Amino acid sequence: MSFWGELFVSEILGKPVLDPKGEELGKVKELIVVKGDPLPKISRLIIERKRKSFYLPWTDLNIFNKRIISANVYLENLRKYQFNEEDLLLVRDVFDKQIVDVNGAKVVRVNDVKLEGLNTEAVLVAVDVGMRGIMRRLGVERGGEDFLRLFKAQLPYNMISWNYLQPLEPRLTAISLTIPRQMVTELHPADLAAIISQVSHKEGTTFLQDLDAETAADAISELEPETQTAIITDLDTEKASDIIEMMAPDEAADVLSDLPVEKAQKILGSLEKEDAEDIKELLGHEEDTAGGIMTNEFIAYRPETTVGETIERFRQDAEEVETVYYIYVTDAEEKLKGVVSLREILLSSPETKLVDIMEEKTKTVTPDADEMKVAGIISKYNLVALPVVDADGCMLGIVTIDDIIDRILPSAAKKTRRKV
Amino acid sequence: MKFYKKITLFLAVMGPGIITANIDNDASGITTYSVAGARFGYALLWTLVPTTVALVVIQEMVARMGVVTGKGLSDLIREKFGVRAAFFMMLGLLIANFGNTVANLAGWAASMETLGISKYIMVPIGAGLIWMLVIKGSYWFVERILLFACLLYFGYVVSGLMAKPEWLPVLKSTFVPEIQYSSEYIMLSIAIIGTTITPWMQFYLQSSIAEKGIKKEQYKASRLDVIIGCSITDIVSFFIIVTCATVLFPHGIRINEASEAALALKPFAGDYAYILFAVSLANAALLGAIIVPLATAYYICEAMGWEAGVNKTFEEAPQFMWIYTLTIALASIIILIPGAPLVFLMVLSAVINGLLLPFVLVYALMLVNDKKLMGEYINPKSYNYICLATIIVIICLTIFFIASNFIPEGIKALW
Repeated sequence: MSFWGELFVSEILGKPVLDPKGEELGKVKELIVVKGDPLPKISRLIIERKRKSFYLPWTDLNIFNKRIISANVYLENLRKYQFNEEDLLLVRDVFDKQIVDVNGAKVVRVNDVKLEGLNTEAVLVAVDVGMRGIMRRLGVERGGEDFLRLFKAQLPYNMISWNYLQPLEPRLTAISLTIPRQMVTELHPADLAAIISQVSHKEGTTFLQDLDAETAADAISELEPETQTAIITDLDTEKASDIIEMMAPDEAADVLSDLPVEKAQKILGSLEKEDAEDIKELLGHEEDTAGGIMTNEFIAYRPETTVGETIERFRQDAEEVETVYYIYVTDAEEKLKGVVSLREILLSSPETKLVDIMEEKTKTVTPDADEMKVAGIISKYNLVALPVVDADGCMLGIVTIDDIIDRILPSAAKKTRRKV
Repeated sequence: MKFYKKITLFLAVMGPGIITANIDNDASGITTYSVAGARFGYALLWTLVPTTVALVVIQEMVARMGVVTGKGLSDLIREKFGVRAAFFMMLGLLIANFGNTVANLAGWAASMETLGISKYIMVPIGAGLIWMLVIKGSYWFVERILLFACLLYFGYVVSGLMAKPEWLPVLKSTFVPEIQYSSEYIMLSIAIIGTTITPWMQFYLQSSIAEKGIKKEQYKASRLDVIIGCSITDIVSFFIIVTCATVLFPHGIRINEASEAALALKPFAGDYAYILFAVSLANAALLGAIIVPLATAYYICEAMGWEAGVNKTFEEAPQFMWIYTLTIALASIIILIPGAPLVFLMVLSAVINGLLLPFVLVYALMLVNDKKLMGEYINPKSYNYICLATIIVIICLTIFFIASNFIPEGIKALW
């Protein structure tokens, strides 16, 4: 049976269900919902006849809309239905339930549920949480519209898409929103990413459109590569380049390298020259090598810089840079001479020169080093970041510990389930 | 558990029960008791005993639901009985409670006038004060302020002792019922029951227990809180009746309002009794004006599913705060309009309360007997009987009340 169109559940409750001859089988009393992909779907109708409940499988229906519901079975084929706790019943378990957001704050109640046809199924697409839903349940929706028309006002539709709601299960006491309406910017980017990866890409894209570039950039950095690609591809170029600009160059390079070439070129073209240069430099390396995971944002000063000057300059430079645990010491040709940890800087007197306190036996890797080797060195020497140098010893970038963990533990790091 | 530990546990849980029951003696309650005492002497005292028993049973039931489910009563009504039941109940309660708030602010105005201060100054000040308290205060702070204000009710106990009643006839009237078949007597006994057991109390008590977050382990202490509260409130009612019965009844002085009672006491019981009576009335009226709008805001938000609570800010729970604000603001405006139909509003609110109460109690009874919801904390049988008896009595009395109010001639011909 095909069901095209949309309707609200309260519109069909109490409606007669007809058999092929047009005789009444009973009245719609409940709908049983089962998990579906991507949305929950209706598996059976429960109809009531002379105070007895029968169930009617969805496949036995041949017309289903808000005016006519008819089945292709007769009364004698109907099977009795016993109410139980395992089934998820729409009216009993979903209607009138409290919807809470991620932090457990109350938001609204479910006033009604909207169904829509998808292929041959009826799926739950949204919950109605507005006055309209209440009026429809009270049977005065039309009256409310007419009344408001007197004041030139519209009765607004107020719905929450099912994608934003947690998966349903029987015996719920409250339904939680996976997306808090106003707290989004206060969430940790990793949590935000978890939310985005739970909704459809289209929803995720609209969701990101509304965020400021910085929050969006942080969230996208935390996403799975394929999700990143899908979402950035859907965004318009301007928004996409705003977001890319906010990302660390290594993250940006990762995202761009997965995009269709045309889109990546467009975005690169609309970036500021300096940012684009940084990213292009990184794009030249294989993905699973030190060059592919390094970032070229790091802090490097000349050997004769004093600690006092370092602190002064560091205050300005650190704004731009993601990882700031080490200060690298490079000469005029950008050759790496040594490294000073922040701790050393803070413990030394302002007149001291970097050359006097730097650690000269620095561990380094070349850009073509395998990622596992990089991980091994970082782990062995307990580093937070590892410099990447070319054959001449010129510093190209650093591989940071968080990037390497994401590489070798991709699934575990991303699979964090939110706790509500 | 050591004794002092028990005491600290009780002090932590104490609040919702005592506050709800005490504030139940709001301006209209005190008016009813004063009028009853002045008009019939000790004859109506006995009605307090069964009323107290019914009140304790019902409040304990509701408190238990609050502790076990952690939700308010209208939360549960909406979830179990659907939107229609919840919606019409809320609408009725909104009107009834608005009338109640008007009555309380009117009581506040009258008591201030009695003390010689203009209502045009005191109503805005009083309304502003209670608004600030809830909007700015935390749950804990508001609760402590209200508990302190509850102490002021003892003013009535003191004025009752100052009236020096003869205790033997007082006790006899309390425990030996005597029923007089005059319409006024029956109307007053209805009013006593109606003003003691109100719909808003049930909602407020359960919501405040839910907001306070009392746990199942603390339920015994919570029950004590309810029982103490209900007992205190009826002891206060008892002394109001005794005061007016001892001082005014022998002289045949008829009064229609609590503030008149204060003035009437002056020549017989002296200035102190008069000031005590007036100040206690002002206190009770103001407390009622806080709690009734608060209860309104609580249950409307619960039924609609909006965030609610004294602890929340205007941003976190806008609907809750607006309902509270508007109820107080509109009621204050009505009080200050010369010639506003105050009496009509109060009678209407009494009628709606009487009509709603059976529904509220039936819903509460169905919920508290629901095994899925309450588990092992389901109602004992004796509770169900007392509650059902109360519901039946209230239904009969309400029918009588409405009949005598709206078809006065027809009924009165029968007497």
